[in-house]
Amino acid sequence: MTDSYNPSEASHRALRAIQQELERHPVVTTVQGFPDGEFTELRANLAPERWGTDRENATLTVHWFARETPDAHPEFAFHYSDEETDFGWHHHDQEHVDGWGHFQERTGDAGDAHEPHTFHAQSPPQLTWEVMSLLSSTPISE
Amino acid sequence: MADHPPGVEAWKEHTTAFDRVQSVATTVSNPRPVSYIADEAHVAENTARNHLERLVSLNVLLKTEHDDGALYSPDPLHTRIQTLRDLLEEHDRDGLIDLKAEVQSKIEEWETDYNADSPDELRAQATETDTASQTRDIRKTASDWELALYRLSVLEDAIENYATYSTDFRASTSR
Repeated sequence: MTDSYNPSEASHRALRAIQQELERHPVVTTVQGFPDGEFTELRANLAPERWGTDRENATLTVHWFARETPDAHPEFAFHYSDEETDFGWHHHDQEHVDGWGHFQERTGDAGDAHEPHTFHAQSPPQLTWEVMSLLSSTPISE
Repeated sequence: MADHPPGVEAWKEHTTAFDRVQSVATTVSNPRPVSYIADEAHVAENTARNHLERLVSLNVLLKTEHDDGALYSPDPLHTRIQTLRDLLEEHDRDGLIDLKAEVQSKIEEWETDYNADSPDELRAQATETDTASQTRDIRKTASDWELALYRLSVLEDAIENYATYSTDFRASTSR
């Protein structure tokens, strides 16, 4: 497969698998590729009230980019937002913390706060459930 | 059980072993042995092997034999056909043509904004930026552009062969 490796096809495959996993998650109400034409990201609508948290317009946006070679770590982001909060778990090069994995949260006018984060999972499907677990234990109701 | 990473228990609760094997096997970047896919899917190796063989027979996966055992990888054609099917399910021919025009407009916008003719050409500009944030924006746009090109190629395929595919699709959904 290495000879025929195509990063964009690999990215699209990962996004489709993540979409399928999100559709299986009990807090996700809808999920679709966005924009409809380019399909460069996933947008999921969530029902956090099923976790006992009452928030309007709760969404999760997912990006996934396979890199130039199959052995290179992918870049990805699972980003949550609702009417009051905006944060997510990302994995890409950045200048704020050591390493690629990090948690970032919008903190009003001050911009984004960043903390290092280590992901346990490697595969896109398991990462999806890992992030949803992290999200369920994040105090978004505060 | 307590040793499972976050989310694994819920993943197992809401999916079957087959679901997890399929999800993991269709997202590997390199051909992988049964043991790797079994670990990642949290299933027993024998279970994984049985499901992988079934997925090979369904043309979802490719299997290559090596001296130290079989390796499994996703079949790119299967991904493409799934994407084609989704497009045909959601759009008629005019809708597909509109969608193609949207993707082409976006690509033309990137070409103009960045004065680049391809994602690779744009990515090369990432070495000349002043800030890390600009570098990241360029890399992200180049990746978006690559994804859009993939979608454009499938859209063109769907439009070009619409009569054939839509007949096949209607036949398959009316059974």
